[in-house]
Amino acid sequence: MRIVRWLPGWTIPALLLAACDPRPDVLTFSGSTLGAEGALVRAQIARFAAARPELTVIVQATPDAADQRHQLYVQWLNGWAADPDVLQLDVIWTPEFAAAGWILPFDRFGMPADELADFFPAALAADRWQGRLYALPWFVDVGMLYWRTDLMPAPPATLAELARIGRDARDAGRVRTGFVWQGARYEGLVAVFLEHLTAFGGRILDDHGAVVVDSPAARHALAFMYDAIHRDGIVPAAVLAWQEEQTRFAFQNGDAAFMRNWPYAAALLARPGESRVAGRFAIAPMPSATARSAAALGGAHLAINARTSQPDAAWDLVRYLTAPEQMIERAEIAGQLPARRSVYADARLAHALPVAPEEARGAIERAVPRPVTPVYTQLSGILQIHLHRALTRQQAPADALSGAAGAMRQVLASSGLGRRGR
Amino acid sequence: MSRSDARLAWLLVAPAMSLIALVAVAPLAASMWESLHLHDLRLPWLGRPFVGLAHYRAAVADARLHEALVHTAFFTAASVALELAFGMALALILHHLVRGRALARVVVLLPWALPAVVAALVWRFMFEGEWLSHPRGAWVPIVLGDVWKSTPFVALLLLAGLQAIDPALHEAAALDGAGPWRRFRSITLPLLRPVIAVALVFRMLDAFRVFDFVYLLTGGGPGTATEVISLYAFSTLFQELRFGYGAALSTVTFAIVFLLSLGWVRALRTGEDA
Repeated sequence: MRIVRWLPGWTIPALLLAACDPRPDVLTFSGSTLGAEGALVRAQIARFAAARPELTVIVQATPDAADQRHQLYVQWLNGWAADPDVLQLDVIWTPEFAAAGWILPFDRFGMPADELADFFPAALAADRWQGRLYALPWFVDVGMLYWRTDLMPAPPATLAELARIGRDARDAGRVRTGFVWQGARYEGLVAVFLEHLTAFGGRILDDHGAVVVDSPAARHALAFMYDAIHRDGIVPAAVLAWQEEQTRFAFQNGDAAFMRNWPYAAALLARPGESRVAGRFAIAPMPSATARSAAALGGAHLAINARTSQPDAAWDLVRYLTAPEQMIERAEIAGQLPARRSVYADARLAHALPVAPEEARGAIERAVPRPVTPVYTQLSGILQIHLHRALTRQQAPADALSGAAGAMRQVLASSGLGRRGR
Repeated sequence: MSRSDARLAWLLVAPAMSLIALVAVAPLAASMWESLHLHDLRLPWLGRPFVGLAHYRAAVADARLHEALVHTAFFTAASVALELAFGMALALILHHLVRGRALARVVVLLPWALPAVVAALVWRFMFEGEWLSHPRGAWVPIVLGDVWKSTPFVALLLLAGLQAIDPALHEAAALDGAGPWRRFRSITLPLLRPVIAVALVFRMLDAFRVFDFVYLLTGGGPGTATEVISLYAFSTLFQELRFGYGAALSTVTFAIVFLLSLGWVRALRTGEDA
């Protein structure tokens, strides 16, 4: 076969050429491209591209599961790929990518300080590494309590109250189960734990960056989660394999009195054709216990590939996507909360969000960020494993927490972070 | 062989040898070299110092690695034993089928043809719920899924072996009054031994490197109750970005698989001599 003989001859140089070609007129964005959110991103990017005829902007699909997207980014960026130029990062990845030198510091673009001050401080803090800014908040996520308006007159203010209402509703046969949350061994479990932890007055790291996840408050928080499943039976053991969508399905089918989830679920639960709880649910802040009510702070941020061939065009795209107009549109279409505080005064937002804008803004201002450190993935991995061991009855909750704390301290001690400060 | 013949022979195999060196040996050597360094992408200020065997000393003391090795060995033993038993049964049925043999073979082969990711998601869907969050129960869908997917491969290998056995042997034994069980034990099994060994080698090495089913069904959970060695190496490398230690874990996996293969090749060779 002649073709076979000369094919490798020209393909290799062609591939090499393709790999080296910086394609100066193509800008690549990568992030969530599923469903309404994907359609929205494509529409906004098409508008941006229409105003910049010299540019071709490509939307590159990535897996929607956060850890899979993380892995793909690691492969690309560690392989010195110049594409994608603009990356959608999870709130917890920025310090890690910044420390690895994979994303561009934004100082060179000179963003006005007063405009920067418009972003929620906790979200912006997650974008800084060693004093420099590496990303901009795109939208904010906060953990919220979804509750059934047909089962109770008002949402519970405390976890104890939640447990009582959930148990009564279940015993009366009005729901199959009391409360559902994300209990699979993944990042979502840490967010749920962080909310319980804050409700009991505990923290993961203290102000000096020391691990305090084995405190009495933490033991109370984990004991509450454990008892809810194994003693009181208000949380089904099935949640230990559930992520966001499985919890939404359970709540949407009318199986549960309460659900902990991010704001995205509200728009989907309100669709009458698909949801059995449409018109019968509302959203409230997560309940407190002995301390304060607090949501875990999540969300997406936009960063620029350090090896991009066109940093200025990439910055223009980041600025465009994080502008107030695009954030309002995102709230209207995808139900995701704007990352700029000034936007909450806009009248259009009142119609877009499932909760009053002032209430949403308050929840974000009070939300608890996860530790900002380049070794966060590893700390979270350790915590996930130990929490999951306790909740699946492989280890006593107190032992699991002290095991996690010990392993996390070891990671921090060998990271050299202590000597450098933060 | 004269010296010039030998030189020509080396010259002729040189391209193949260099290709093997390029695609197999070079990455392996690079990975081993990496495993002797502290290299953490998240912590560039630590540099990339040579640490000798420090990662391997850490691996010896790493409880999570020990657990992962036990899990991998358990998975390998359980799934390969079941695949061999079911594969043998399936092969015997196919061998003795009088009608519809071609169709039956295609049907039997279907699970093997399905991409592992699709198969794993189907099994996940069937076992959604408390199975996956039970430390021992979670093994059930993992092992069953793998058995379901790989049994056809074993069956097909064994079927080829069965068809190579001269039917005259069975006829003669039957004339001598040997029943089916006796003929299976005294004729089929001994003659099938080399084929069984080949199936065992392939499946054991495959099972030892299992990743897809565990990753998709449990992700190694609950806790780390189903974490296998390749999954641990993967999360160290790609989730935690600890390239030095991850390379050491990969090297440990490679060493075990290499020694296993070596042992099997030896065993097969002595089997042939006997």
